[in-house]
Amino acid sequence: MTEPSNTDRKVTSLRELPQSIEPRHDLWPGIEARLGDIRAADGATPAQRRAVRMRWLAAAAMVACVAIGVWVGRGLLPGTAGSGTVAVNTSPPQAVQPPVNAVPHEVYVSDPRYQEQRAALVRDLQARLAALPQPQRDKVTASLQAIEKAKADLEEALGHDPSNALLQELLVNTYQDEMRVLTDVHEASDPGRGI
Amino acid sequence: MRIGSGLAGALLMLLTATAAYAAVFDRQVPAQPRGVVEISNFSGNIEVSGWDRSEVSVHAELAGGVEGVAVSSEGGHTSIKVRTEASVSQGGARLQVKIPKESELDVSAMSAHVSTSSVLGIQRLSTVSGNVTAEIAGADVELKTVSGTVQVKGRGQPARLRASTVSGDLHLQHGGGDIEVGTINGALIVSLDGARSVRARTTSGDLRLDGTLSHGATLEASSISGSLTVRTAADGGFAYEVSSFSGGISDCFNASPEHTQYGPGSRLSGTRGTGAGHVRLRTLSGNVQLCDRP
Repeated sequence: MTEPSNTDRKVTSLRELPQSIEPRHDLWPGIEARLGDIRAADGATPAQRRAVRMRWLAAAAMVACVAIGVWVGRGLLPGTAGSGTVAVNTSPPQAVQPPVNAVPHEVYVSDPRYQEQRAALVRDLQARLAALPQPQRDKVTASLQAIEKAKADLEEALGHDPSNALLQELLVNTYQDEMRVLTDVHEASDPGRGI
Repeated sequence: MRIGSGLAGALLMLLTATAAYAAVFDRQVPAQPRGVVEISNFSGNIEVSGWDRSEVSVHAELAGGVEGVAVSSEGGHTSIKVRTEASVSQGGARLQVKIPKESELDVSAMSAHVSTSSVLGIQRLSTVSGNVTAEIAGADVELKTVSGTVQVKGRGQPARLRASTVSGDLHLQHGGGDIEVGTINGALIVSLDGARSVRARTTSGDLRLDGTLSHGATLEASSISGSLTVRTAADGGFAYEVSSFSGGISDCFNASPEHTQYGPGSRLSGTRGTGAGHVRLRTLSGNVQLCDRP
């Protein structure tokens, strides 16, 4: 059986603690040395500063090139193959989000009637889904997720092959299917009325 | 002992089912042989059958939360509405309705299952989370559900059928005439019996279609990631055109798909028989199988 050391002693009151504790080592010399290094770096020559600036400019130019490339690629999405059925909205696509909170926001079809109708249906979606029993709500949510995934897959494929008529046709079909689902869910929750 | 406990269980289930429906409603009203019958119910069941009489018969078993059933018949229009308390979202009625067999039928429901038999007139059946089961004759039929399944039994008679579900499966037997079916992630299982025009669309559900097409018929099917399996024969054969972006294409007549010259994708096209009909199959990543015999 050993006696507890001084540091292990049980403290029963704040008064028992020391008023101040001195550090074991003086830390200032190390801090001072590091500050000195930073000051020395700030005193770089104009040539060095120019080289750093050029590196930043080159990086910015690369980012701009990539952004323009993506924008041009998006500009070739549906509507350019002569079908005339859809036009293009060049706004960049947004990330796929859970359909309950936000069924697809990105709109490639620029018809204002379509946009208005779709926006209204999406706004209404949460309330309509809430009216469905949980198992059915889950099923419909899964269907909306399937549509979201289909759109994302098609958009990715169109990124590789923007003029592919098959992909354009399937994308249009998917937009139509999405509207059908939103409309059916919208019309679904009037008691006794059905869709 | 085992038989005894089984009987007791069955009796208990019967008593429970009976207790769930607290009141019974019966009514008959005169109706025109080719009039319109409109039925709405929130939840439960709606069973409609056609008969030879010129009257509509309603038998309803009502659960709690149901205020009653309103039946009216005026001119050629008969209306049957199950009235529920505004605050009630559960409970419902089990409706058994007999209508003149050539009536036009319009059914809407929320979570009720809908089924029809021996109705020869136009049918429009829609429910949200219930299943739809229908027999079709020669008249147009439109069936819709959101999360339920659709089962349709045809007789190969030319009719126009439009059926869709969002999350459920869709089964069609002996489909003739003009057919338009769609699901999002449910399976599409279609058997054709001399169909004239078929359009089938699914997003991630699989499509299995077999049977016969009439002379000069068209068949179009597409999916995004679901597989398409089509086994069909047509009087006079058909020209076919199959495209897939990243899925595989196979057939039962030893034709080889060609890969597109630029970018990914494969395509199979040609003619079977004299090429009177037309078959067009499209998919993004699903596999496609085409056969010229059921």
